[in-house]
Amino acid sequence: MVSKEEIMNIAILSKLYVGEDEIDSLTEDMDKIIAFADTINNASDEGTDFDNINNLSNVLREDTVVESFDREKILANAKDSEDGCFLVKNIMK
Amino acid sequence: MSESKIYKLHEMLVNKEISCKELTQKYIDAIEKDNGELNAYVTATPETALKTAEEVDRKIAKGEQTGLLEGIPMTLKDNISTDGIKTTCCSRILEDYVPIYDASVWEILKQQNAVLLGKTNMDEFAMGSSCETSYFGGAKNPHNINCVAGGSSGGAASAVGGNLAVYGLGSDTGGSIRQPAAFCGVVGLKPTYGAVSRYGLIAYASSFDQIGPVTASVEDAAIVFDAISQYDEKDSTSQGRKGAPVTETLKNDIKGMKIGIAKEYFDGVREDVRTAVENAVEVYRSLGAEIVYFNLPSLKYALPVYYILACAEASSNLGRYDGIRYGFKADNYKDVNEMIKKTRSTGFGEEVKKRILLGTYVLSSGYYDAYYKKAQNLRGTIVNAFRKAFDSCDVILAPTVPMTAFENGHAVSDPIETYLTDICTVPVNIAGLPGISIPCGYSDKGMPIGMQIIGRTFDEATILNAAWQYENTANMFRSSGFGVKL
Repeated sequence: MVSKEEIMNIAILSKLYVGEDEIDSLTEDMDKIIAFADTINNASDEGTDFDNINNLSNVLREDTVVESFDREKILANAKDSEDGCFLVKNIMK
Repeated sequence: MSESKIYKLHEMLVNKEISCKELTQKYIDAIEKDNGELNAYVTATPETALKTAEEVDRKIAKGEQTGLLEGIPMTLKDNISTDGIKTTCCSRILEDYVPIYDASVWEILKQQNAVLLGKTNMDEFAMGSSCETSYFGGAKNPHNINCVAGGSSGGAASAVGGNLAVYGLGSDTGGSIRQPAAFCGVVGLKPTYGAVSRYGLIAYASSFDQIGPVTASVEDAAIVFDAISQYDEKDSTSQGRKGAPVTETLKNDIKGMKIGIAKEYFDGVREDVRTAVENAVEVYRSLGAEIVYFNLPSLKYALPVYYILACAEASSNLGRYDGIRYGFKADNYKDVNEMIKKTRSTGFGEEVKKRILLGTYVLSSGYYDAYYKKAQNLRGTIVNAFRKAFDSCDVILAPTVPMTAFENGHAVSDPIETYLTDICTVPVNIAGLPGISIPCGYSDKGMPIGMQIIGRTFDEATILNAAWQYENTANMFRSSGFGVKL
């Protein structure tokens, strides 16, 4: 069983608000989903350690300077910018 | 008989039976007329389309050679980035986001003068099986607008099934190309993980996501796959197509091909769907294929494994939406933390929030080993089970979805019941395999039934070959009556 407190804690970690009006139905849904997820604990995984799909390996390249995107164009999608930077409220007093 | 729509239109264009501008205008007019009902498109781009069409006409007039995809009207799912054209993932959090670069697949097709008609509807961030979690409302099924188009690439399937585009590109994380293709009576190909570049595809679950075509025939799927399956240095998991173009072997004889049937794929499948797939088995027998039966017991865990891993990846991928660099930003806040929380809580829909919460839960301290790690190991078990199965067969035949398209509004009530619609499609994504869905029958209410052909990694050629032979013998394609008539 998943408790309301657990859901509230997970919401903090996820940077989401969960309102008083939605916590009951959300807890009920999450409880069903997690009970469903729990079914995997009946399975034997044959100790298969799995780390990637289709035998991929890391791709490395020389660290060379290449042309990147135009700063103005990048900032055009931001709601607030100033002096060529993204603008946010002070995070340090 | 199986007929390639792309090939037919290409011939019409080069023989000057129709100009590219006229052809494009037909589709623009049809979208104008029918999109109100189908809601397949969330953004239409008629100006871009006509500009490309004029360029193609100039080339043809000058007698220059044109490629197969040149001048063919098509669409992109709204999670595939398009430079200068809104790309929203059908989420409020990206409702006004305009990418400043093209996804690699679009770069490839743009160079070939593909005519982009617009961006298609989808479940928000590709999370859903009915297209109904879209911020812009769901796409409707062209065979009955009271039913869903399926999801998440519902718009692409509705557009192709509704003849509002010749083909579309969608993305498939747990069935999002194949499931709506089955519901809308069209063809949907999910390529091998790594065969098609994911650069510019807005991420849901990066180790599952793959771009692929939704088309009106198997040959069209092969043509589009050949074009887009290229190695891309911008995607570190890209490998490109291995081997010859799939169109070269598409129409080969399949005498002696071993077609595998796993009993587990038929558990809980509705009777008419089961019968339609069993009839397809008989078609294959008549074509000289050998049918092989075996069990895949680990499939029982595929669905929970998928939801645990995909949501874990999603919770991390969607961490980037904070209102600072792009997209929706909440107002009235006292500090940055409150701004981010308000932005995310208002910008994301219910299903997306649920999956972020589940993903965060399974990755959090104390639960990581029991859920995430265990699911990863089971992923390995499922990969090995498929590998073993392919020792005794060349392709696996299964239903695409256990049922046909359900009515609008039906999907939202029970989360688990909704997730169960993905039960036949997720194993392919877990194992990184290629899979194709093609029409194989109709319910008594006239709703399309799809079957799935699954292959070895990077063996798209064999599944397309098997799919083409079936289509050519049994052709189950039925026109929906919407859109462009040619």
